[in-house]
Amino acid sequence: MSTLKIFGIRHHGPGSAQSLRNALATYSPDCILIEGPPEADALLTHVADAGMKPPIALLLYAKDTPKHASFYPFAAFSPEWQALQYGVEQNVKTQFMDLPVAFRFAADLAESAEEPAKTEEPSAEDVDPLAPTEAPVPTVRQDPLSWLAHAAGYTDGERWWEQLVEERGADEDVFAAIFEAMSALREVADADMPPEIWEQRREAYMRKTIRAARKQGFARIAVVCGAWHAPVLQLDSGNAPKIQDDNALLKGLPKAKVAATWIPWTTSRLSRASGYGAGINSPGWYSHLWRYQDSGNLTLASRWLTRVARLLRAEGLDASSAQVIDGVRLAQTLSAMRGRATIGIDALDEAAYAVFANGNPKVLQLISAKLTIGNRLGTVSSAVPTTPLQKDVAASQKRLRMQVSATHKELVLDLRKPNDLARSQLLHRLRLLNIHWGATQQSRGKGTFKETWMLGWQPEFEVQVIEAGRYGQTLAQASGAFVVEKSNAAQNLAELTALLDDTLLADLPDATELLVQRIRDRAAQDADVQHLMQALPSLAHVLRYGNVRTQHQADVAALETVVNGIFTRICIGLPNACRSIADDAAETLFLHLQQIHSAVKLLQNEQHLVQWLATLDQLCAIDSVHALLQGRATKILFDEAQRTSPEVAHQLGLALSDPEITRVTAWLDGFFKNSGILLMHDDVLFDVLDSWFETISEDKFQHALPLIRRTFSSFETGERHNIGRKASGQQRKTQQPKFELDPTRGQRVLDHIAVLLGQMPAATEVA
Amino acid sequence: MSTTQLRLSAEEQFAHELDALKAADDGIRPRNWQMSPQSVVTYLMGGETKNGVKISPKYIGNQRLIEIAVATLATDRALLLYGVPGTGKSWVSEHLAAAISGNSGLIVQGTAGTSEEAIRYAWNYAKLLSQGPTREAMVESPLMWAMQEGKTMRIEELTRIPSDVQDTLITILSEKALPLPELRSQVNAEKGFNVIATANNKDKGVNELSSALKRRFNTVVLPPPATMDEEVSIVQQRVVSLGQSLELPNPTPALQEVRRVVTVFRELRNGLTEDGSSKLKSPSGTLSTAEAISVVNHGLTMAGYFGGGDLQAADLAAGLLGAVVKDPVQDKVIWEEYLETIVRERDGWQDVYRACRELVG
Repeated sequence: MSTLKIFGIRHHGPGSAQSLRNALATYSPDCILIEGPPEADALLTHVADAGMKPPIALLLYAKDTPKHASFYPFAAFSPEWQALQYGVEQNVKTQFMDLPVAFRFAADLAESAEEPAKTEEPSAEDVDPLAPTEAPVPTVRQDPLSWLAHAAGYTDGERWWEQLVEERGADEDVFAAIFEAMSALREVADADMPPEIWEQRREAYMRKTIRAARKQGFARIAVVCGAWHAPVLQLDSGNAPKIQDDNALLKGLPKAKVAATWIPWTTSRLSRASGYGAGINSPGWYSHLWRYQDSGNLTLASRWLTRVARLLRAEGLDASSAQVIDGVRLAQTLSAMRGRATIGIDALDEAAYAVFANGNPKVLQLISAKLTIGNRLGTVSSAVPTTPLQKDVAASQKRLRMQVSATHKELVLDLRKPNDLARSQLLHRLRLLNIHWGATQQSRGKGTFKETWMLGWQPEFEVQVIEAGRYGQTLAQASGAFVVEKSNAAQNLAELTALLDDTLLADLPDATELLVQRIRDRAAQDADVQHLMQALPSLAHVLRYGNVRTQHQADVAALETVVNGIFTRICIGLPNACRSIADDAAETLFLHLQQIHSAVKLLQNEQHLVQWLATLDQLCAIDSVHALLQGRATKILFDEAQRTSPEVAHQLGLALSDPEITRVTAWLDGFFKNSGILLMHDDVLFDVLDSWFETISEDKFQHALPLIRRTFSSFETGERHNIGRKASGQQRKTQQPKFELDPTRGQRVLDHIAVLLGQMPAATEVA
Repeated sequence: MSTTQLRLSAEEQFAHELDALKAADDGIRPRNWQMSPQSVVTYLMGGETKNGVKISPKYIGNQRLIEIAVATLATDRALLLYGVPGTGKSWVSEHLAAAISGNSGLIVQGTAGTSEEAIRYAWNYAKLLSQGPTREAMVESPLMWAMQEGKTMRIEELTRIPSDVQDTLITILSEKALPLPELRSQVNAEKGFNVIATANNKDKGVNELSSALKRRFNTVVLPPPATMDEEVSIVQQRVVSLGQSLELPNPTPALQEVRRVVTVFRELRNGLTEDGSSKLKSPSGTLSTAEAISVVNHGLTMAGYFGGGDLQAADLAAGLLGAVVKDPVQDKVIWEEYLETIVRERDGWQDVYRACRELVG
């Protein structure tokens, strides 16, 4: 009969990992079974590759819908990782034994078919399958050892474990002791509430795998599993479940198609705080423990507080070596006072708080985020099989020398350099696919050639890249195809133009061409002038600035035709759209009017301007156009020097004579909004308005007052004060003396300007 | 102990507890300490000695904070107790000194007028003139005594002392020596010497510590009590012991009334009702636990001398008004709002409402 040893471990515990290594070396098994998904067995050959640097995770996803994914994170100090390493080093048969995720995915897929909304976020079980399943007593079931530690009065399960392990000496006794403790715990917990069905299935499958290994003739089998499962996997014990029962549990479960790969993971994802956690509080501290486990306890503590001090210094805070010494002494005294043999992270945190923080809790938060948890991203060997799109993305990152890191970093690109332009395109393409590796920042300094990004890689991006794989084999293909799909679904012109903006940034000529085509078609069919008006500003922007970055002149030319077409349609349709409309519709059009005007100015096309001003002229002439819009049209024409001051005064007088007081105030609002300065300086306009106020009846005045007040509230405070003073007569008729030009002095200035412009002083006439 | 002294010092009031702890102590004692650090923690947090003597808790709150404080003193680092007024900083410092050195009376009271002489030494000018600079002509400060005898000394309100005077402490804390240049000698501190300072961070007229001085202290922040029950038991316990020393007629306050006072204090301090359902405005005062204690105490006195003997809402009202309304205009509005919107609607609080309303007018 073969022997079977169960090693109940703590997921991600350096103490566990070290004891397990020692125990495996003593036992020298010929077969190692590890709690993990059997679909990933083929990937186990890669664990010894040079490029594999934990934290990394096994990613399992449903082939058809990669959104359905499970992560199995591993750190260097994970006992499972050490068991895998041992297996490869010693050339021992090593395999996973947990319930295949195919079953779980199939069940989830069936569920999500009924409830499509649920697919967005992975469920709790998807997130952390290595920890025992969620149950009514989560603290006991998720981390039973920690729970025992808390019962013994420790805040840190790892410290409790370490003392338990290191002080007992003989490792195997520890696993025996844990087995006993867990048996007692499970007896109570299972009697209280039987395990959930999926947990039962998982344990049944694990037993099945163990039986199969025995059948294959392995003589010394080692089982590495969460301590919680240890008691029910010992087949040699008297009350082990029967084969028939296990088979009944697993019978007839549907299966999904599953693919697996290794992906980089981050330390912060290992922590409980981030939601994707593997259930440990302080991964940074654990890797510190793992890395310096051979040095003494005091050295460990000194090293840690030195790292704290260096971190604080890097952040510009005060931290001297003297303080480190005091901190170590304090931590040591604290531990001694509490009767602990070793210095734990709780004592170190408290020491850091007392010594470095001066009572500022933010300092402790900083230490926790940067050190105790940390944010390191692991790497995966390039030999690991990946999808073509993943390869393409990784190759581009390498080619463009873009470092993939989980810590947020700023990247400033100069788009005149080809390498930077390519980087920007890569980021924009990923952004199109909703993979937000970089977020655009407000660039300091002007210039369209500069772009600032904030980069931060997250492990889930890998899943999104795999998911995007269905659009194409390369990033350019995939993002292009994605744009096409999105453009098919676009509801209106504005969506299309926004998409075009992004597509141009990503430099996808085929998609751009198609989008321009779509926009032209849509613009021709769209009867609503407002949609066209919405679309024009961003198109104008693209046309004006887009060609700074794209080399494809054809795109620009095509776009110009589209813009011209849309603009002409707007000019034709606008007068009708402004007729007989309600006040709120007029407000919307008022905004559009402004935007179109800025777009026309931006395009710097003489013809456009002429056409546009003619349209505005028309607006002023048609009676049924809303007064608000007429007012604004008059204002624009005045600004563009199409109307003289007396002409405008005449128009103002006409508008004021309207018997309908609301029309009067609307016109005033349209004309004066945000431009109180006009009233301050133009006496002609001021007099017209002022005399109107003097003649108006009391009844009308009361009606008009609130509406006029609304217009005046858009003025600057200073402007309002000046107008008030002018109206009260203080500045009345105290115009500045007529400004006389002195041609000789003017000529001097002009000469200087000419020199500055690089011309020789010329005999320019003063106008 | 029968005495006419208004207030007994910690080592006098709790002499039996200190003796019992010393008798039962088997831990390692740092040099010149009266007891082991573990026993100091037990003295502060309460518990039972090995020979069965009950120790009353002096500090109700997080044991870890007291552990950090004691461990700091054991490593001969100076301790700075930091926090908002009324969280028990001076109380903790007094008891720490009493437990460690058996003497909580070596105090320098920090004020804006505290001079360097008050911290180091001054001169008896008559002697100085007749004898010249000698040790006899020197007036020693509590700090100097503590150094020579290896005891813990206390500096109250460190941040109120002018910054240039504060910095006198820098050399003393790092070199553990006080130079006496006039005598061409210095005082070296004995083992066991240490400094406990208390400081406010949220008050008017405080002088920030220089970072050189800050670095010589380990900081422990004493927070306001975390839970309602914690705060009620602090108030209850202190009022009972104050009642004893003041010989009040009825020293046991009804728990219900204490609870109500603490509720009012907590709600106004946090700007939120205890059930978390409505937001409130906070008045300008700090509304510390210490003030809650004095409100209950005041109420007891009123009840004992002028009322029926039992603590009633009416006896507390005046104290509450005085504690909450520090700014006659704004705080009064806040207090009235609180009375009208919260107290009035609350079941079983009608008597409080009526009593307070009467006073506000």
